[in-house]
Amino acid sequence: MNETIERAPLDEKVISRLREIFGVERLLTSQTDMMTYSYDASFETQLNPQKPQVAVIALSTHEVSECVKLANEYKVPLYPRGAATGQTGGAVSTKGGIMLDLSRMNRILEIDHQNMQAIIEPGVIQNDLNLALKPYGLQFPPDPGSANMCTIGGMVSNNSSGLRAVKYGVTRHYVLGMEVVLPTGDVIVTGGAKSKALKSVSGYDLAHLMIGSEGTLGIVTRLRLKLLPLPVTRGIVLCSFERLESAGEAVNAVFSSGLQPSAIEIMDFNCIKAVNMMKPELNLPVDNEAVLVFEVDGAKEEVTSQVNRLKKVVEKYATHLKFSDEPNECEKLWQARKLVGAAVGLLKPGGFRVYAGEDICVPISRLPETLREIHNIAEKYGIVCGIYGHVGDGNMHTGPVVNSSNEVEMENVQKMVEEIHQLAIRMEGTTTAEHGVGIVRAKYMDVEHGPAMEVMRAIKRTLDPNNILNPGKMALPN
Amino acid sequence: MKVLTPEQSMMTCVRCGACRNVCPTLNITGREADGPRGRVLMARSMLTGEIPVNQEIKDQLDRCLLCSACVDACPMDVQIPDIVMLAKEQIAAATEAGTYHQPGVKLNTTHNDIKKTPAPLRSVRDFMFEKVLSDQKNLNQVGNLLWFYQKSGLQSLTRSLGILKFFPEQMRQMERIMPEILPPSKRKPHMEFTPRANRKKEPKGRVAFFQGCIMDVMFRRTNDNSIKLLSKTGFDVVTPKDQGCCGALHHHSGKKDKTIELAKANIKAFEKAGVDYIITNAGGCGAALVEYVDLFRDDPAWLERAKVFSSKIRDISEIVHEKGELPETSGKGERVTYQPSCHLQYVMKVKDAPVKLVKTIPNTEYMELPDKKYCCGSAGIYNILQPDLANKILDQKMEKVKQTDSAVLITSNPGCYLQMKLGLHREGMEAEIETKHVVDYLVESIERAEKQGH
Ligand SMILES: Cc1cc2nc3c(=O)[nH]c(=O)nc-3n(C[C@H](O)[C@H](O)[C@H](O)COP(=O)(O)OP(=O)(O)OC[C@H]3O[C@@H](n4cnc5c(N)ncnc54)[C@H](O)[C@@H]3O)c2cc1C
Ligand code: SF4
Ligand code: SF4
Repeated sequence: MNETIERAPLDEKVISRLREIFGVERLLTSQTDMMTYSYDASFETQLNPQKPQVAVIALSTHEVSECVKLANEYKVPLYPRGAATGQTGGAVSTKGGIMLDLSRMNRILEIDHQNMQAIIEPGVIQNDLNLALKPYGLQFPPDPGSANMCTIGGMVSNNSSGLRAVKYGVTRHYVLGMEVVLPTGDVIVTGGAKSKALKSVSGYDLAHLMIGSEGTLGIVTRLRLKLLPLPVTRGIVLCSFERLESAGEAVNAVFSSGLQPSAIEIMDFNCIKAVNMMKPELNLPVDNEAVLVFEVDGAKEEVTSQVNRLKKVVEKYATHLKFSDEPNECEKLWQARKLVGAAVGLLKPGGFRVYAGEDICVPISRLPETLREIHNIAEKYGIVCGIYGHVGDGNMHTGPVVNSSNEVEMENVQKMVEEIHQLAIRMEGTTTAEHGVGIVRAKYMDVEHGPAMEVMRAIKRTLDPNNILNPGKMALPN
Repeated sequence: MKVLTPEQSMMTCVRCGACRNVCPTLNITGREADGPRGRVLMARSMLTGEIPVNQEIKDQLDRCLLCSACVDACPMDVQIPDIVMLAKEQIAAATEAGTYHQPGVKLNTTHNDIKKTPAPLRSVRDFMFEKVLSDQKNLNQVGNLLWFYQKSGLQSLTRSLGILKFFPEQMRQMERIMPEILPPSKRKPHMEFTPRANRKKEPKGRVAFFQGCIMDVMFRRTNDNSIKLLSKTGFDVVTPKDQGCCGALHHHSGKKDKTIELAKANIKAFEKAGVDYIITNAGGCGAALVEYVDLFRDDPAWLERAKVFSSKIRDISEIVHEKGELPETSGKGERVTYQPSCHLQYVMKVKDAPVKLVKTIPNTEYMELPDKKYCCGSAGIYNILQPDLANKILDQKMEKVKQTDSAVLITSNPGCYLQMKLGLHREGMEAEIETKHVVDYLVESIERAEKQGH
């Protein structure tokens, strides 16, 4: 980890070459601009924003390639960035250098509905693609909570996923191929340069090496995505449980009954409280330890029958139960889950919700135990937090609420996060299920991966000998 | 009322980026500093004294359209336009005082050289706000002059003489799209009471009509039609005589005292009217009226009165759609599209009432405008101060309008109306695409059906 590489300062020569590539309007150098490129959505960069030296806004693969070549020639660090909604500091500079904003490469190039695929540039927003697919009755399923604002390039680089992952899987499952600018500036297409095949086992699967590499191995400039039919309708079953353990049993029972919900979401007692504060009309039972929200999707009759079966299975464990297969009513019930992220902020007057320690994942069987442990840790540090997450795959989002002017609290929340991450590893889980490593979880990489970490470093060195792409992340060579 | 003050709400931004995908300026340049999240951060750094007041920040903040799309998208209720305004006020104060330097300078390449607005421009602006806009009589006189200017042929004279060349390009274009001002004889005060058209039916409610200042001079016909529409859809309409300007423009240029004065006068005028609702036909005014409550946070007596007042504000499309009964209508077999007013959709939260009404008209085909979420740039000072960005925003909007292949472009606010006309004028499409306020479109459809019925 201690390899260091001589770096040339970002002198006027580099700047003027960048100006040739991007023109004056898309080369930003002012301190004000740098300030606005010093963060993403992570707590870490809110505390420690880090400015790049310049930022450029790319519009084409050619520009990206020229920019990477230049960075490689001068050994200047280069940071790819989508919408900077990441929660790990992944798209933030750690060593000055060039910020490469890819959010304007946002054209949908082709919707090939016959072959169930779409070709897009990386800056397309998830929701914008889905709006464009709707008339064709198609969808791009990975659904992070940030679908309205995150770029698909960012999703691919982080291998993002959302609450429907339990049925539809993660971003990785929908990438058929991609165009990548390598750290040398060379451009390759993986997944078959000219192929439109939906399946291929030809050669090393380089696309899948790139997916989840968080901008450290290459810059994605074009994507070929697999699409699925859009489900016609959805149904919701919302139920609450006196004890966490019975919620866990209910989930097991559902799986063993052969049902395949499209989402299974859990909210703990604090989340219940918070949602009630925000939407009193939802009137969730307050004396319960957990609420589960099941979603099923499909054709109308299918949904109705699934809702009924689900109801029967969970009834035994639950104290309260609401359900619907009618769109407006479903929307209302679903609000309970949709609002929780913002609602936890209400748990403490004047406080705000921190995104840290927010993404652990443990085996489903150890969920109740883990939830209790997290609350013990929080209590130890005197921090209020709400926990919600995707029970279907054991992924939990912890939402601590703090007062930013209270220094003790700010310190304590960081200690608490550290313990939560250690807890996840102890429970045979991982520190991050969908958000990624970036800066904030780099320190757990060696513990989580052991000797495999050395293989990762070797790959990085091979593809990026000058270590220019997103250095300082993921515990790769620095 | 907004839960948080701008000062509080700027601290609650979690940088999630949920506001990114609705911002018209960010959509053009892709530059983080041209988006809401960047603006909050810049303004906040300056307001908390982390960085000094400087020209770079002023230039950046001036690019915000204050359209509020970001507020609507923000899960934390961060009041971006208010925060930008607050920062701009501080910059203005620092400029006046000549103290742009603040202790604790951290920025290494700070420019402390804020350019002042040239004196004559400032005094004209102040005169506009102090005297003209806040006094209906004065405004009427300006209207009369404008009318005389248009009617007397002076307009074509100045046009052909090229006097307008001395104006910047934007001014010249604006001048060409100004609506025709009605002669003074047709701009007499509105009737104080207009009963519902069909007296045999129970009234749908008693409402007051807010006429607006510029609206009543430049868009007098739309105002007349608004009263007509309310009456024809079953409302008894009061138009209080002593109402005045809403104060939005004063507020947006930091003239708080004057804004409060105007607000109090309006609250009083409409209390006397004794109505269920107060109706506006301009999203911009409506939004300002809804926000009166925020002006009186520290004045409990007026706060209560303001709350009652603000709770009665409704947009005309909203009330007609929800409570009114639209008589028979008939279209011309044309295709229409709609550009929402930002203040209407984002501040008053009236998202689709105008469309729902238009869709009920037989023989009219409605086509959704792609990317209608983006502000059009709302004709006004922004066009003159930020010509480059304003033109790009407008060009893109026109591109989308063309895609719909519509014959009529419907709007719901005078600023949007003018901007759309300007856009069509620049594209040379005025002949093919007509711009219309939704009220005028509805009244024409009603009158067409009435004629056909006879
Ligand atoms: C409110 C909120 C909710 C969220 N919910 C979820 C959730 O449910 N599930 C989830 O998985 N995530 C979630 N996230 C995290 C985040 O939105 C996702 O990780 C998202 O995919 C990041 O996309 P982005 O465009 O913002 O990428 P950025 O943050 O800009 O970048 C992310 C990483 O990808 C790299 N990168 C970006 N574009 C490229 C490219 N074209 N080529 C190479 N590298 C690139 C960057 O260098 C960085 O390392 C949430 C975030 C917020 C703020
Ligand atoms: S949506 Fe609100 S909280 Fe999120 S970045 Fe924008 S202003 Fe901040
Ligand atoms: S008010 Fe409009 S222009 Fe200004 S930041 Fe918000 S969305 Fe962008």
